[in-house]
Amino acid sequence: MRNINTVKQEFLKKWIWGLRKYRSQKKNMSLLERKKAIKLSADLAMASTRNKTTRWSKALIANASKNSNNKVLTEHVLGSSPPVRKSSTNYSHSRRIRSCRKSLRRNRAVHIPKDRVVASFIARKLVQKRTRRLKSLLPGGEFMDDVSLVEETLDYVQSLRAQVEVMRCLVTASELMILNPS
Amino acid sequence: MLHCENTSGNLAGDMTVWERQRARMKWQEEHGYFSAFDAVFSSSSQDSFVLPADSGCALGEVVAQARARPGSMNKPSVHGFDESSSISRTFSCPPALVEPRPTGSSIEKESSKKRKPEKLHNAKFVTENDTKDKRIKLGADDEQSKITGSPNSNANTDSNKRETCADTSNSKQNSKASEIQNQKPDYIHVRARRGQATDSHSLAERVRREKISERMKYLQDLVPGCNKITGKAGMLDEIINYVQSLQRQVEFLSMKLAAVNPRLDLSIDDLFEKEVFPCAANFPNIGMSSDLTNSGYVQFNSPQEMVSYGGLDTVINPPYMGLKRTISAHLSSVPETYLHSSSFTQLLPSSAWEGDFQNVFNLDFDQVRATSFPSHLSSGLVEAGNHLKMEM
Repeated sequence: MRNINTVKQEFLKKWIWGLRKYRSQKKNMSLLERKKAIKLSADLAMASTRNKTTRWSKALIANASKNSNNKVLTEHVLGSSPPVRKSSTNYSHSRRIRSCRKSLRRNRAVHIPKDRVVASFIARKLVQKRTRRLKSLLPGGEFMDDVSLVEETLDYVQSLRAQVEVMRCLVTASELMILNPS
Repeated sequence: MLHCENTSGNLAGDMTVWERQRARMKWQEEHGYFSAFDAVFSSSSQDSFVLPADSGCALGEVVAQARARPGSMNKPSVHGFDESSSISRTFSCPPALVEPRPTGSSIEKESSKKRKPEKLHNAKFVTENDTKDKRIKLGADDEQSKITGSPNSNANTDSNKRETCADTSNSKQNSKASEIQNQKPDYIHVRARRGQATDSHSLAERVRREKISERMKYLQDLVPGCNKITGKAGMLDEIINYVQSLQRQVEFLSMKLAAVNPRLDLSIDDLFEKEVFPCAANFPNIGMSSDLTNSGYVQFNSPQEMVSYGGLDTVINPPYMGLKRTISAHLSSVPETYLHSSSFTQLLPSSAWEGDFQNVFNLDFDQVRATSFPSHLSSGLVEAGNHLKMEM
């Protein structure tokens, strides 16, 4: 498990740096624009702390660099061009496995009593539904299988927590700065 | 049909050769086929898959010989049945097994999954055949013992000798190969308990499930309020809620930052410069009354936020600390003379706090300051500053 403080430090550095870059590009922004910029740079900074080791960070960066406006910022924050994703092969692969598994289950279900079949079917449906929701929440989650989904969620939650803490601190500090500029 | 066979065996003299050959063939089939199956299930390397091909070839040979003999047969019905079954068996010796397999583990997994239904089908078929075979074989053995007197004479017959040798060597090879396969270090260190399936697919599936549940346990520790929930669906619910709440917090905080900084100049450098502020040395000693701590805690930290701070480390790194120091600097910029005369006595730093209390509440301060300052303290500070100016 990585040290949470070094992560926070790195995140803060990258975030501020990205924000400065962003500010140098555009001068007068509306509130929503500013918010978007802050959010984007924070996300990118968070992703770049876990650069190229986790799938969610890659997906985040890839999503950010899709928008042409953000490309410059992305490159600035990362210091390099974002990696190209190859998702299509992955997807078909997992899909094929899933279909095979289904057919297997059908085979096996013959020997189990009917009540249990129904119960386990419902339970499986519930879990599947939630898994799908979790996948939609995670950046790049659509392309993960179950094992990697749980792993990535672990990592993502940790990073999000660090991000929230740092942001909260910064908000507090800047509010105080404004309230009494000494 | 067995009956017919027996009687026909009694009737025909040259039938014995045919019978023997067939019996041997069945024996070979059983052994060869099952060892081949074992090899398939227990192995992960390529060489073992040559063996099924061998046995398949041997079977083919025997079948071909059996075909060459129909002229000497008195009972075409028996022959027909046998031939068809043996042929179908040779066909059922799956071509998928003979084809070269890639050694990559992921592809291996996939291919094994893909082939599973086939195998199942084959296995079923074989067992069906097997029961028939056994019955027939019993009959054949009886036949042989009746006619030749000893079962060992089977090995001494001239035309079959070479083949039997080949067969036994073949089966030995098979068994050796399977032994070697068993000795090889497995990648999966899972042991099946009683009543659990032992084929590679269900082993792999079990490994996968165990992996997932292990990670889920970690997630359970990480996600607050997830400890008491059993069941995967409930846990996933909690995780989803937590991730969503964190994402919303990020949104909210970025909105707040945008609102606070009209020109998007997060003057982090200014914040860092404040580090040299003399009061910064006092940083951890910023005191708040326990009342305020508690009330602030309760008031501002919704359960969610509260737990999100649960993992906060007490070790603080430079920039992060810098932020906090600036906060502390602002706080302690209010002179101490004012402390005793105002209603803010409790809020502001006092030397009395250097004691045990500080140690007890240190963590709490850290946690509370982030949330409770903006509205309570900062307004208080402004007021305090105004008072101070008036007094001066």
